[in-house]
Amino acid sequence: MKTRLLILIGFAAVSVLYTSCTKDPVTNLSNEESRIYITDHDSSVNFSNYNSYSISDSVAVIENGSSSRELSPVDQAYIDAVKKYMNQAGYTLVSKKENPDLGVDVNHIINTSTGVISYGDYWYNYGGYWDPYYWGYPDFGYYIPYAYSIYQVKEGALSIDILDLKNATENNNINVIWTGLIRGSGILDSSVADSQVKALFDQSPYLKH
Amino acid sequence: MKKIKKIIAAVIVSIMTCFYLPATAQTQSLQFGLNYNYGIPTGNFKKNIVSNSSPRGFMSSLMYPFSEKLSAGLAFGFQDYYQKYPRELYHLSNTQSISAVLSNSVQTTPILIKAKYYPVITSFLKPYVSVAAGTNIIDYRQYYGEFGNISQSNFGFRAQGGLGVMIPFNKTSASGLNIGATYDYEPYHKNNFKDLNSMNLQAGVEIQLR
Repeated sequence: MKTRLLILIGFAAVSVLYTSCTKDPVTNLSNEESRIYITDHDSSVNFSNYNSYSISDSVAVIENGSSSRELSPVDQAYIDAVKKYMNQAGYTLVSKKENPDLGVDVNHIINTSTGVISYGDYWYNYGGYWDPYYWGYPDFGYYIPYAYSIYQVKEGALSIDILDLKNATENNNINVIWTGLIRGSGILDSSVADSQVKALFDQSPYLKH
Repeated sequence: MKKIKKIIAAVIVSIMTCFYLPATAQTQSLQFGLNYNYGIPTGNFKKNIVSNSSPRGFMSSLMYPFSEKLSAGLAFGFQDYYQKYPRELYHLSNTQSISAVLSNSVQTTPILIKAKYYPVITSFLKPYVSVAAGTNIIDYRQYYGEFGNISQSNFGFRAQGGLGVMIPFNKTSASGLNIGATYDYEPYHKNNFKDLNSMNLQAGVEIQLR
């Protein structure tokens, strides 16, 4: 009886140790540490060939494949931050009517379903979020050569895309020549918008005009 | 591979020897051991995956004393290794980059056949050497920030050599405190890694079950 009790206590102790010994990497991160910044670009493009840009006046909210436009204080903070770092990179902000060389879209991606979002789908439907008409090329499509490597999404992500409007007619497409993605905890906050956009520009030194 | 086969052969010979030796001990009772384990990565493990030592682990054993000097049985354990690296820029392709805090998380669960040899026995100290070999269940996860990048579970080989001392609770007791150390050879050829070799420090109790 004593032996059985000792064995039982031993196995119980082992079970408790087994389940309580693991440190969860995700809960051990601060909001800042939880965030990732992914950038990609068209390597054939020389960004110094572009001078002016225009930025969308609202943010496309992309939720499970459909989209709408909004301009919340957070959206405005991101748009302002993009303007700041585009200007610092040497580009001149102009209105859409002044034939900008570059167009900039800001997107807020939400996926309420659990599991995986396919960024392939996101790019595939890009014309649905940003009608080429918005940038003055109603008969054109988008050319997007990217595929993000990380797909798991539980909460929002923000993406910023730079479009080649200067060569749209020649390319017969609006090429997305740079894209940046911000993901992680606490990004939908006006107070952090500047630092998030700065991170994308900091890791893309080739964007300098 | 030859090295692994030699280690397995040595463990098998040790255990077979135990079976054929005359049982001089009158009380052949199972010994249950439960030890806290402090894992210290070495070599490639320390250099490329996790350099932090791990205070999160245990090693247990159930041993049969074939003689006063030899016992053999099963050992089972668990160790959790974790390391968070400062934010850095990683290049995923020629044009794609990711800035992230990278975390590596490794859990090893050894299930081993183990033999212990007590060369000198006194009433207050029982020093021993041990060898063990068996399988190692390895869980490896890598995170970019809070997002999982790699998640793999594999079986691997594990061999272990150790030294220690058992301090009986009293002169006639077969139960007592245990203090020891092992070196564990754990090959791991995934994700361009080579091994999860580790030094392990242990302290705990050995209890005679009847």
